[in-house]
Amino acid sequence: MGSLEHANWFMTALFCTMSGIIVGSVLLAQRGREMFIRRIPGLSAIEEAVGRATEMGKPIFFSTGLWGIDVVTLQALAILSYIVKLAARHATRIIVGTADSTLYPVAQESVREAYEAAGAPEAFRAEDVRFVSGDQFPYALGAVGIMARERTATNFLFGAFFAEALILTENGRALGALQVAGCPDPVQIPFFIATCDYVVIGDEYYAASAYLTREPTVTGSIVGQDIAKALLMAIVLAGIGLATYFGGQHMDHSWLFRHLGTGR
Amino acid sequence: MRQTVLKLLAPTTGTASLVAHLAAALLVCALLLFALHRLLGPRGRRWLIAAVTFAGGLFYGLEYFLPAHGKPEKNFLTPWIEPVSVALTVVFAFTVGLGIYSLCQVHGRNVGRRRPGWHNSLAFFAAMVAMFVSGLWEHHLRLPEPLPAVVPWPKGVYEVLFNGLYGPLQAATFSLLAFYIASAAYRAFRIRSAEAGLMMAAAFIVMLGQVPFGRWLTSWLPAAGPLGSLRLEVLGDYVLTWLNTPAQRAIAFGVAVGALAMSLRLWLSLERGTFFSEQS
Amino acid sequence: MAQAPATGSWDYLQRMPRYVIYLLLAGVVLWQLLAPIRFPIVPSSTTRDVYKAIRAAPENKLIIISVDWDASTQAETGPQTAAVIRACFESGKRFALMNWTAPMGAKLANDIARPIAEQYHAEYGRDWCNWGFKSGGANVLMAMVKNIPETMGNDVRGKRVTSLPMMKGVRDIKDIGLVVEVTGLAGVTETWIGLVQGPYQTPLTAAYTAVMAPGYYAYTDSGQLKGMLVGVKGAAEMEVLERKPGLGSAIMSAQSWGHILILALIILGNTGYLLARGRARRERA
Repeated sequence: MGSLEHANWFMTALFCTMSGIIVGSVLLAQRGREMFIRRIPGLSAIEEAVGRATEMGKPIFFSTGLWGIDVVTLQALAILSYIVKLAARHATRIIVGTADSTLYPVAQESVREAYEAAGAPEAFRAEDVRFVSGDQFPYALGAVGIMARERTATNFLFGAFFAEALILTENGRALGALQVAGCPDPVQIPFFIATCDYVVIGDEYYAASAYLTREPTVTGSIVGQDIAKALLMAIVLAGIGLATYFGGQHMDHSWLFRHLGTGR
Repeated sequence: MRQTVLKLLAPTTGTASLVAHLAAALLVCALLLFALHRLLGPRGRRWLIAAVTFAGGLFYGLEYFLPAHGKPEKNFLTPWIEPVSVALTVVFAFTVGLGIYSLCQVHGRNVGRRRPGWHNSLAFFAAMVAMFVSGLWEHHLRLPEPLPAVVPWPKGVYEVLFNGLYGPLQAATFSLLAFYIASAAYRAFRIRSAEAGLMMAAAFIVMLGQVPFGRWLTSWLPAAGPLGSLRLEVLGDYVLTWLNTPAQRAIAFGVAVGALAMSLRLWLSLERGTFFSEQS
Repeated sequence: MAQAPATGSWDYLQRMPRYVIYLLLAGVVLWQLLAPIRFPIVPSSTTRDVYKAIRAAPENKLIIISVDWDASTQAETGPQTAAVIRACFESGKRFALMNWTAPMGAKLANDIARPIAEQYHAEYGRDWCNWGFKSGGANVLMAMVKNIPETMGNDVRGKRVTSLPMMKGVRDIKDIGLVVEVTGLAGVTETWIGLVQGPYQTPLTAAYTAVMAPGYYAYTDSGQLKGMLVGVKGAAEMEVLERKPGLGSAIMSAQSWGHILILALIILGNTGYLLARGRARRERA
């Protein structure tokens, strides 16, 4: 099979094609082409969730997951920014718990800018963006402690979650909070579904910023992703057809397999 | 040029040399930051961030995609991977202090203002100081392996705190998940619809198929022949490998393409809002 | 949101208080640990593949057991590590423990390996060794494939790895016959596959916690993983293959009955739900 160290010609061609599709789609959207994204229930529920906290007069808790500055967590920060702007409009307090010290200043700056964008810079409290712990279970227990002491009405969990996810959500449920979770990793999805009120799954996680903001750049990117996925599906179907026609026993020696595998 | 840079990045020996290097690095960074802050306006800073982001992504991208030759395979950028990774690790290490600052700020305020539960914050400080002191002291002792029968007391304190307390606490916290799974499964698994019924059936089959009890339950079915396919472990295996695996692969495809798109948006600074400019 | 209290006996079936569930589970697990009712354990195909891979590893090459786990997953990865170590000693294969993610793993695995080594009269440095925890993440693997002694430096006892008799002639990844990855962490296997198994075709097997194993059947299907131990069950199955019952087999009866209890609770909950729903329909009619 292929190496992670260097790409072969097929990987390079595939990457260039998919990147071209995505960037092309972004440019088209920026030029004003209308693009459709279907309704995502978990994301539609964000306003309801923020509204619940506002009505109850209790704070919101947002967990960014375990990872640091990474694609998954940066997407979580984009969602956090949207939620902060919503919360700021209703003067609802939001507490953010991070598990990575490199992410902590970025998250703090992100929240500060969101409050400024919402026209409520004085509502920003630096101590409401906290570094809880760098370790998995201490983070989970610290976050549960925040939920319990602050009696949060709503919990948002967006980011990279692992075994500690169930500790967070089950305790959040026991404390009576409405919970919205999103994680691209399929392993934790069943636990979120069993314990949260709304869940954003897999691809929907990356579509979140497009869905919430409807910004042309991100919307175009989502449409480009879908086209790239269709291309991948076509390649998989072609591969199935070729493997079925030529037979499995020839696979290791076939020109196609050799060049798509090691590329040598 | 590579030799010069590697010479500068080479580990140094001697306290005087180390202090000189640190002082020089701090001075250069301070001057650079001051110059950037003064000379560049907000627009200029944005361009600088975009340029640095692009250069960083371009480095790793080119190293991966440019043709590589030889055994082991490398191109002209490959020798730079390790020094760049080491430099990044050093930069990340500085942020550990920021995390500690945040913790001390929050808990310090709790103790200072005697907020409800301030004794928990006091326990945090006690634990942090104990672990910090004993960890550093233990490391400084440089004890031989295998350990002598009687060890110095800092090593004993460290062993009690880390291996005697922290390790078992981790295991105990993880074991809570078993109870949470039981209560979550009991509460969430209700046959409210046909799909929920299907999910329940799959859960039953897989849960029983994964334990010896399930295998024993259907062991009376003949292993060979069509009835053998109804054995719980066979059904469970079928669900895991033929139903679950393609679904996991499909999700992995989608997530990978999503991550590619997000990475492209960040690399080309197309991402707007949050930590970037609000203007698109 | 929080569970409403039960009203009526049918309702109680579907709104049992949490503490009752927790007490039942704790009671069942304790009962089975003290007075187990055992069911026969039959090794699955993925476990057999791991066993075969260890036995088939070349005699003149090392096996690397990468113990990337910490105390939190010890209940599963501990018995798995013990079973793999025992399989190596049984088949006379030299192995090295190493760790490049969770620092605790090297020490905990060392505590597991030492008594097993004594049972087999195996000598440290000749039959097995522990390279310890090496920081640097994927950089450790990238460097290791090219030069193992330089990357590993000192072992967990502070000795240069080159001073150990079993490390004579071990230079790079070509001198490694098999890698067994024991982990509870996501993303570790992908790095091994990308940096070691893929480019150098070094055989790779793995042992995972039960919750993450479903995500890795795709790798066994494609041949990138030569078998997989799934949770404590995998450890128990290895013990059956080795004919040496250990902690894995002891824990399996508790796990079996734990599963039975959870399924019984689900049935009870659904019974209460369906009966309550029927009663509500009758009252409306």
